[in-house]
Amino acid sequence: MASALRPTLIRQAFAAPAKQLLSRNASSLGPAARASLLPQVRAGLVRDALPASRAGFHATGAKAILTPLPETIQGTVNDPAPVPPPSPLHGSYHWTFERLLAVGLVPLTVAPFIGGSLNPAMDAVLCAALVIHSHTGFTSCITDYIPTWRMPKIRKACDWLLKFATVIAGVGLYSFETNDIGLTAAIARVWKA
Amino acid sequence: MSTSRILQTSARRALIRPTSLVAKFAPPAAFATNTHYVQRRQVTQQVSQSTGEEILAKQRLRRPVSPHLSIYQPQITWYLSALNRITGVALSGSLYLFSAAYLASPLFGWHLESSAIAASFAAWPIVAKVLTKSALAFPFVFHTVNSLRHLTWDMAKQITNKQVQQTGWAAVGATAILTLYLAVGL
Repeated sequence: MASALRPTLIRQAFAAPAKQLLSRNASSLGPAARASLLPQVRAGLVRDALPASRAGFHATGAKAILTPLPETIQGTVNDPAPVPPPSPLHGSYHWTFERLLAVGLVPLTVAPFIGGSLNPAMDAVLCAALVIHSHTGFTSCITDYIPTWRMPKIRKACDWLLKFATVIAGVGLYSFETNDIGLTAAIARVWKA
Repeated sequence: MSTSRILQTSARRALIRPTSLVAKFAPPAAFATNTHYVQRRQVTQQVSQSTGEEILAKQRLRRPVSPHLSIYQPQITWYLSALNRITGVALSGSLYLFSAAYLASPLFGWHLESSAIAASFAAWPIVAKVLTKSALAFPFVFHTVNSLRHLTWDMAKQITNKQVQQTGWAAVGATAILTLYLAVGL
């Protein structure tokens, strides 16, 4: 019996005041009552930092950094999200290659601390591995923060900028390796200066 | 009429029946002073398919965005993960910048040979040396130590919440000690 009564009772008890508070049309109120009610309604529904049109959705204030671009709709509203064509080169192989490279970098990083510095061949291997590791790391950042579906032109520009920068870095490191004493030896020399 | 319906109806009647003076005189008073509410029903409109799509599209454009980073509780798990990327970008960025500068140095007359850098670095005051070494050693040490955790997770090991927190604090401790050693002791 209690369960049969409860919804009706609750509705009776709460529906009327709730409707009063939420009603946009308060014209039947006296001016004094309206003035006292509206700030309450506003405080309950609207955060100051947000435009009134979006306030209904938001429970937290707006953040100033990395604000998203305005929403856009491509195609019609009910199109499913496009699924990129599957490719092992950009999936599992790519992932495994990155891990192997990262694992390989561990001994190359630790060895100079034991032996003082690396021999030229291993130093060149370290530099090449560092450049590839950096390149894949930067690629991940670009993929994560500059999605093609949102900023296609900036994405393309960043992709090419990274390729260009990697080539420059590779050539620069090659030049350093062939003209100077090698990366690990140079760091040790400056560190102990 | 079902039992529950009868119960609802009688409960409603029991509520409506005035039981006190306030309940008896409040409604007429509200009408007299114009402080009552008139309940208005929302009238639905039939619209065409294309108009409906338009309305839906407009509503989609005003969809909320997902919560920002700062609403999440600061936790060792995701803080270190973010720091791993930040330190990685800092290290790789430094490497790229140095390589590009070394390549361009003959054009501008810069001296970026290791001997020249070592000679000028040797002349720095000790505080500046230690600060610079710390600033360079911290991202290097942290990225190296924390990468071991990431590589462990890639093998699906040490992956429970508690283990991630424990190894996280271990990485923080190891980073502090090794950074201090590289900056001061080496």
